[in-house]
Amino acid sequence: MTLTLPSASSAVKSRARARRRASFDTALGRAFLQALAVIAFFFVWEVGVRLGVVSAFLVGSPLGIFQNAFRMFFSGELISDTWTTLFEALLGFVIGTIIGSLLGLALWYSVFVARLVEPFIVAINSVPKIALAPIVVLWFGTGLVSKVALSVSLTAIVALIAAYQAAKDADPDLQSLLISMGADKHQVFFKAVVPSTLPAIIATFRINIGFGLVGAVVGEFISSQRGLGHLIYTASSLYDLNTVWVGLFTLMIVGFLLYYVIDLIERTSLPWKQASTTQQVQV
Amino acid sequence: MGGMSATAIQLSVRNVSKSFHGKAGEVRVLDDLSFDIHQRDFVSIIGPSGCGKTTIFNIIAGLIEADAGTMQHHGEPIGSLRGRVGYMMQKDLLFPWRTVLGNVLLGLETRGIGRDAAEAKARQYLKSFGLTGFENVYPKTLSGGMRQRVALIRTLIMDPDILLLDEPFSALDYQTRLYLEGVLKEAVETYHKTVILVTHDIDEAVALSKRVVVLSGRPARVKVVHDIDIAAHSPIAARADHRFSGYFHQLCAELDIQTEKTT
Repeated sequence: MTLTLPSASSAVKSRARARRRASFDTALGRAFLQALAVIAFFFVWEVGVRLGVVSAFLVGSPLGIFQNAFRMFFSGELISDTWTTLFEALLGFVIGTIIGSLLGLALWYSVFVARLVEPFIVAINSVPKIALAPIVVLWFGTGLVSKVALSVSLTAIVALIAAYQAAKDADPDLQSLLISMGADKHQVFFKAVVPSTLPAIIATFRINIGFGLVGAVVGEFISSQRGLGHLIYTASSLYDLNTVWVGLFTLMIVGFLLYYVIDLIERTSLPWKQASTTQQVQV
Repeated sequence: MGGMSATAIQLSVRNVSKSFHGKAGEVRVLDDLSFDIHQRDFVSIIGPSGCGKTTIFNIIAGLIEADAGTMQHHGEPIGSLRGRVGYMMQKDLLFPWRTVLGNVLLGLETRGIGRDAAEAKARQYLKSFGLTGFENVYPKTLSGGMRQRVALIRTLIMDPDILLLDEPFSALDYQTRLYLEGVLKEAVETYHKTVILVTHDIDEAVALSKRVVVLSGRPARVKVVHDIDIAAHSPIAARADHRFSGYFHQLCAELDIQTEKTT
């Protein structure tokens, strides 16, 4: 048979391709490929430094980074700094999210007040909150409170806007149904508005956990005695690039783990959203 | 007509008018509209689309206020029947974050009825509508027909004075619709309910109703009221009645005449 239908042969080919992909397309297979990418990245970096292609002084070297990381880990220095930053970030995230969400939801109660304060919210949101860092330190000192305050200023506004928008968008038909049943405004708020804003509020957790870390680290840059931001800042002023990378990679790992914690919260806190799995269309 | 004279009037709507202010200026949706609903009535309201049928419901349910006119319930003047109606729409309006049981409990919760009593009642209703085993399921996983059945239970469990059904089955396929019409008719008879049904479906109106109100186009006015004298035990049996097609064609003619006049 010399003549094959092009559609049939391409279908066979794409199926073969799918089979080849499928052999790596398992959790273990993906983890293997991801680990391989990380190892390759550090290997190329280290070789580059050894060959003198890149300067160890300006970019550091993977072996130096690992040596420093081990030393700082076992001396307890790294854990203490990580804990300090994590605590500041989490506290700022929790306080900011709660304050922001409550304020945003409260604006649902009065259209008048909401319209009145809307331009102010937009104005506050458009200020880069990082620019507040120097005065926040001035007001709240060089300790924990100033970092938490900075994190709160970053996270609260995000939560506020998301909660307010979601409350405005709550299905008016569900609210009408409750009113026809004789529900008062509080019942409409708690039974229809608040539950329908929860997905939007929880969606801000992902963004805000990052902002929480930003607030903590920037606060530490400005003025601090400990924390990963302090570590990075002091090490870079001493041109100790390997230690800077230890701080950066630790921050990355912290952010990475926090993301998955948030992901878990998101998936378990809204069981009604999970009733049907969202499957990506295979192309 | 004959048998109707003995029936007491439950809801009387008198000279109700309502305008909305749109971009194109004032739109008169209802103009001097009057009609009566008898006790244990099953009235269908049909008319050209956009003639203000939903507006009538919203006024009765107290979601919007009429510009003029009065309403009486059992002879007593009322502003609206808010809290005493069972409103069902084309969308089932189940709360996605509540389970089937939670949705059925919604009305009882707003009334402040104790959790145990409410839950016992809800389970009993779910059982009589064949939904035992689905109590803890979220609406998302249910079929359209089942969702609308849950919405019907949520409506009935509050023991409303009047059921306001705004095209409740129009989003469903024909078989499911026939089935739910039967469920509705049986429930209305079991619980002795009064029903006002807004529908586009003349066939449905004749099969379910005791009376059909034909509205004229915007602004809505009562064109004619037909008594449907079919004593069938189910909507499917009603469709087999020899008078069914007569009513059907009469109503079709009524609507056609109006569309010719208004367009």
